[in-house]
Amino acid sequence: MRKLPFDTVLIANRGEIAIRIIKTLRELELRSAIVYHDLDAGTPAVSMADVAIPISGRTPVAAYLDTAQIIAAAHEVNAGAIHPGYGFLSENAEFARKVLEAGIVFIGPTPENIELMGDKIRARKFVQRNGFPVARSAIEEDDPATFISRARSIGAPLLVKPSAGGGGKGMRIVRDLDALEHAIVQARSEAQRYFGDARLYVERYVEKPRHIEVQVLGDSFGNVIHLFERECSVQRRFQKVIEEAPSPALSLELREKICETAVNIARSANYRNAGTVEFIFDGSGFYFLEMNTRLQVEHPVTEMITGIDLVAEQVYVTGGHELRLSQSDIVLAGHAIEARVYAEAPARGFAPTTGKVLVLDYPGGPGVRIDSGILQGQQITTAFDSMLAKVIVHSPTRTEAALKAERAMQELVLLGCETNASFLARVLADEQFLSGQVHTGYLDENPHLAAGEFASDLSAFLAAAALLTRPVRDSADAVPELHASLGSWRN
Amino acid sequence: MNHVLELEGVDYQLWLSPCKQGYRLHLGDEVTAPIDFCHQGDGCGILIIAGAREPVRFAIDGDTIHLHIRGRTSVLRYRDPLSALALAQKHAGQLVARAPMPGVVVATSVLPGEVIAAGTALMVVESMKLETVIRSSQNGVVDRVHFKEGESFEQDAVLVTLSAEGH
Repeated sequence: MRKLPFDTVLIANRGEIAIRIIKTLRELELRSAIVYHDLDAGTPAVSMADVAIPISGRTPVAAYLDTAQIIAAAHEVNAGAIHPGYGFLSENAEFARKVLEAGIVFIGPTPENIELMGDKIRARKFVQRNGFPVARSAIEEDDPATFISRARSIGAPLLVKPSAGGGGKGMRIVRDLDALEHAIVQARSEAQRYFGDARLYVERYVEKPRHIEVQVLGDSFGNVIHLFERECSVQRRFQKVIEEAPSPALSLELREKICETAVNIARSANYRNAGTVEFIFDGSGFYFLEMNTRLQVEHPVTEMITGIDLVAEQVYVTGGHELRLSQSDIVLAGHAIEARVYAEAPARGFAPTTGKVLVLDYPGGPGVRIDSGILQGQQITTAFDSMLAKVIVHSPTRTEAALKAERAMQELVLLGCETNASFLARVLADEQFLSGQVHTGYLDENPHLAAGEFASDLSAFLAAAALLTRPVRDSADAVPELHASLGSWRN
Repeated sequence: MNHVLELEGVDYQLWLSPCKQGYRLHLGDEVTAPIDFCHQGDGCGILIIAGAREPVRFAIDGDTIHLHIRGRTSVLRYRDPLSALALAQKHAGQLVARAPMPGVVVATSVLPGEVIAAGTALMVVESMKLETVIRSSQNGVVDRVHFKEGESFEQDAVLVTLSAEGH
């Protein structure tokens, strides 16, 4: 193993991604430290870390956004590096800079990388200037006074996006230009609160777009490689639900072209560390959407098809090493699918759900990986993101992977807090999904998948519930058999 | 007597009667028999239904029954007829705006005593990274705003109480 300039890594995150990072740190024989808000005190991430430091905030989320407390915690436990995970401070250049100024290694890209790519507007201008394709857009800060009229002139449908955004927060589709101003007001308010930055831009919305992204990895010596693409077109409310690698939409030629474009974009940005270049694919051509300068939620599908531990590579390149892999070392094997288990009710418009996890039993077997952040007995609240776990499967072919993923979703038992698991199983068995003909509007166009009709299962559920409900069973037991056989005369 | 189990927003009136091999399930005019449930261990059991044996995982939390059968999870609620009635009376004569889903209050837009028209924005709430404006469905006078900015609420929580105009 190569020498690293630190022996303890502080994780500035929570839940499944914190556990994911701890697992690699253990493999690398590094000590793990974690910060946690009181609400997370009983979670497995906190008990798995070698050392845990409480942090506080006006809200639970605010605690995980508090740079000063996190850096103080790192000093307290002599952590020589900080891994930000995804979300929270992972794409905050100011945070990365303060970490470096405190003499701590930031396991992520350079602050300059984040500044360039984390700002969507700057990123698309940079990418366009370097000759890569982008969509038509109107950028507010170019001339705020004419923003709305410039947006209108692009024509509907439009997509309103926060400049500093990510994860679908604050994004709105506008199909009727009369609704544009209202959408801008709401997107601005959300952008201000989530990113502390109210700037917006508007771009032409491509109907039936596919979301295809390329995983890249760069070091401080100018080497950049790709680890193939992921397709993340199955989305609800701009948030990914099922991701897979490779994409079923790309021919060998297109795969090569899109991966090479991503590498060239990352290289021209002097990109260091793991990153993702996102593209919109309209069936024949693709254009740059944005670059995520962090480890993605869906990174495990890439790990499954390449056999590479992305977190370990992140640690090595930020530890000052040259990439240990060259492009020819990266071989695509089989097909991987990830399904995100959310605390939500698909039949009620994917409304978030809350509750206590009363029973938790995960699927397993060859080619099944579970990245989970919860334990039996844990209270699920709306204080954080509603993702509870990720189920990732790997099989030789896409068809087998979909079947394995469907079975895994059926075997997953999580009682006490409603989840989308049954919905995911239906999507994984849906003919359109199996044919590979999906786009980001696929779930909206197929509301029957979310509704989940009971049909033949109804009597089984009612029978079990009736037999398990004491008052129902008691009143049956109180009826002598002879009278009962006469029928429903008691009503 | 009839009992009510709610599943995905639908109330099912049903009752059980005993029979030789266990019970009959009466759902409207439909009878499913025989059915029975054999407990196997903590939260595990076998449902016997019309000759088939279905493994069941379950958790019971008050009136809520969480079930996992045939690879599918569902939540059913036993509706106690008495408590359902009490809830209805508590808000009799008042108009209430309820939370469509759990979330956090971003801003309140009205004050108690304010006379408002149907469609008036009462509150801006946020759930799942999306802002939603809660509007009044009727004319009225704001009686009480139950949550402050930054406070979180559960699904179906009463957000704003109105009294009818002229009261």
